[in-house]
Amino acid sequence: MSTTRIEVQDLVVRYGDQVAVNGVSFTVGRGEHLTLLGPSGCGKTTTLRAVAGLEHPSGGSIRIDGQTMYDSAQRKNVQTEQRGVSMVFQSYAVWPHMSVFDNVAYGLRVRKLGAAAIKENVERALDLVQMRHLAERGASKLSGGQQQRVALARAIAFSPTVVLFDEPLSNLDAKLRAEMRVELRELQRRLGITSVYVTHDQEEALAISDRVIVMNVGVIEQIGTPEEIYNKPRSRFVADFVGSANLIKGKPAGEGLFAVDGGPTLKVTAPHRPHGKESEVAVRTAYIDLEPRPGDNHVPGKVRQRLFHGDFVQYVIDSPVGALIVRRPPVNLLGEGAEVTLSFSPEHCVLLEA
Amino acid sequence: MADASTGVLRPRINWQSLTTLAVLGIVGFLVLLPMVFLVEESLNVGDPMAFPPVEFGIANFVSILEEDLKTVVNTLVIAVMATVMAILIGFTLAWILTRTNVPGRDKLERLMELPYYMTPLVGALAWAVIAGPKSGFINQIWKAVGGTGDIADIYTHFGIAWVMALFEGTVAFVMISASMKSMDPALEESARVMGASKLRTTLTVTLPLVMPGVLGATLFVFAEMLGSFAAALVLGIPGRIYVITTAIWDSTLAYPPDYGRASAMGLSLFVVMFGMLTFYRRVIARGSFTTISGKAFRPRPMDMGRLAWVLFSICALYVALAVVFPIAALLMTSLQRFATVILGQAQWTLANYQVALSLGPVRTALLNSIMLGLGVATVGVVIMALLVWIIYRSQMRGRGAIEYLVMFPQAVPRLVFGLALLWAWLNMPVGLYGTLWLLALAYFTVMLPLGVRTLAGVVLQIDKSLEECARVCGASWGYQMRTVTLPLLKPGILAAWLLIFMACVRELGVSAFLMGPNAKVIAPSIVNAFATSGTELTAAMALIQTFTVIVALIILFRVARGMTKELQ
Repeated sequence: MSTTRIEVQDLVVRYGDQVAVNGVSFTVGRGEHLTLLGPSGCGKTTTLRAVAGLEHPSGGSIRIDGQTMYDSAQRKNVQTEQRGVSMVFQSYAVWPHMSVFDNVAYGLRVRKLGAAAIKENVERALDLVQMRHLAERGASKLSGGQQQRVALARAIAFSPTVVLFDEPLSNLDAKLRAEMRVELRELQRRLGITSVYVTHDQEEALAISDRVIVMNVGVIEQIGTPEEIYNKPRSRFVADFVGSANLIKGKPAGEGLFAVDGGPTLKVTAPHRPHGKESEVAVRTAYIDLEPRPGDNHVPGKVRQRLFHGDFVQYVIDSPVGALIVRRPPVNLLGEGAEVTLSFSPEHCVLLEA
Repeated sequence: MADASTGVLRPRINWQSLTTLAVLGIVGFLVLLPMVFLVEESLNVGDPMAFPPVEFGIANFVSILEEDLKTVVNTLVIAVMATVMAILIGFTLAWILTRTNVPGRDKLERLMELPYYMTPLVGALAWAVIAGPKSGFINQIWKAVGGTGDIADIYTHFGIAWVMALFEGTVAFVMISASMKSMDPALEESARVMGASKLRTTLTVTLPLVMPGVLGATLFVFAEMLGSFAAALVLGIPGRIYVITTAIWDSTLAYPPDYGRASAMGLSLFVVMFGMLTFYRRVIARGSFTTISGKAFRPRPMDMGRLAWVLFSICALYVALAVVFPIAALLMTSLQRFATVILGQAQWTLANYQVALSLGPVRTALLNSIMLGLGVATVGVVIMALLVWIIYRSQMRGRGAIEYLVMFPQAVPRLVFGLALLWAWLNMPVGLYGTLWLLALAYFTVMLPLGVRTLAGVVLQIDKSLEECARVCGASWGYQMRTVTLPLLKPGILAAWLLIFMACVRELGVSAFLMGPNAKVIAPSIVNAFATSGTELTAAMALIQTFTVIVALIILFRVARGMTKELQ
């Protein structure tokens, strides 16, 4: 038995003349939680909807559990309802004319389960999202967070092997979103569901995923674990979109070295094989220390601005490699105008692909 | 899980394009063919009854300017007067009800719709009773207090325009208040914060932002007034004041009927109205972008202090003139042997209702109208729901063309469409003319825009993912329609059904031409009764019709309230 649940190959989706998804390929393993991350209009939702069968692609193939769901070469397109996937919609899509119970029971009734089995499965699903006490409530009388839970319960009630999430948390307020994030991750682990998750929130993507795909203008920029995406961004787009990074301009100066325009030469790492045309390195704002450490790159600097955020302090520091943003824990605060030595390891100085 | 064979795209008959073609064909036949016949007949300069015509020319059009110039002038004068009055009334009421703290605002706003539901025909009859020369109630009172002569005469240009403005001008109120409501209150508030006074804010911010809406409403109302029929029919013909619609009507009644002349006038009217409506759409598309941002605001009303009660009186006066007095006058008339407002002389009786309900033709006409309403609404709603689904939810090619065709009857004056249908079906080798079937077909055709627009409003409100989610849960298309789409559409379908039913029961323009001796309906029968028998009987008939509409209206409001509750 293969460990691959979903296999997307060279997927292309067009809307009229516009290409929304332009040759996207990836696989999702059994029980894996994969996130498609990108700004709005990058094609992430369209990709997800194509997997669900809600968009008609114009090229490529989609396989779920080894079965071909879509294949442009074979002219094959399996209808949404026969793909056996489940989905949580951005708008929740909780049917307002049904009770909570009826909403959650829908997929089970479609599958013609007996009344007892339906009741058992619905109650189990509602228990998982702590909504059992509201089972008889009309769905139109629920708060946003409650609707979210109902949508989730409905999506898992018929024990699907694959669940697709289309920005399910984007309509919740920040606090609730953080809570649901934890619950979702917990639930996903417990049930061993394979899931594909779409979001534009990089924090959310890093926090809950096994692997992240960063997309931009219809193509994949980078695929990797959250740590890889954060620590080894491949392109300027990824470095900029995920987390916060300082971009330093210059050019490669031999193996592991980078000459900053009008400044010093830094020791850097290149995750890929450099070809000499690279012009930028990225340094995460969290990885810059204000105390010199052996083996690091050292640059003198002067604090221009200090912003106190509570969980961290953000400094803007003028230095020979340009103005750098540095985030530090909120202890040993430096005043504006203070002279410092910036220190960052070559491992965290990532040469970006040109 | 997925059966591999079900998903294969076999080369097969393209059902979608076949369906689209069939729908286009049928709707095109119903909507466009009569217009083609009308164009052909308008160019007929030989024997007006010849079909197909043998001689073609533009003499019919030329004669509009030569012989019917007076009619054209009448039409313009009345339409301009009616439009000015309607816009003044509409603007005042819209401003009071959306921007001030007038007492009882929500209830008053509801009442504003009533004159529209009363119909211009009933309104014209009522005002004939109130302000007719000699026997009109106002003149009766005037003489009773010692005056001489008549002080009120509704059978004049101004009288016709007055009734049109009261009963057909409601749309001005609706449109202007919509543009006032959709304005972000922050736009005004920021002017106030910058130090502008209330008056200055109104003049420099509110008015310029609302102007495109007002201009649009003016164009729209003017086009409506040009094609208005009922008031001119009831109030114009006794005083020999003909407007273009009544002239069209008149030339088909002449012997021999001059269909060529009628068609030429009808077509000219259509072209002018179509031009105005196109222009209107331009204005709306270009002008009101600043205020329309999609969501409806409820602007904070201005505090008018004691003036609020003056404003309330203005609204109350309007309701009195357009609803209370007309209904009261009709009620009084219908309950008397000889209509009088001097209560001492009144002889009360229920005989008029008895006659109306027992008199063969009248009773048949009423029953026919109700039957047509039930039938057209029931069958129509099913077909229209299907059309709406094709136009707004399917991916079919050609759905834009279907939408255009379906909305086309809206641009044709009802009366002109009736004329076109009359000529088309007189000459089609099918024995439909003079039967209820033709009326049903005609009603369905002219109700298409109303039904489709109402249903579309509901369909577009339903989030598409509600349907998609059902599919993802494993439901087939049919199961999804049954469990999700139709239950969600139910209130909207019910509302559309009632609107169509009401519109059928009060239909005049098309019915006037297509009614046969064996297929009578109520609105033209009321007109006939007014011309041939007493006011008292006519009043009873008008009230019976109004009552039927009001019952439907009450149900409609109930449904609407249930619907908003359910969708929130």
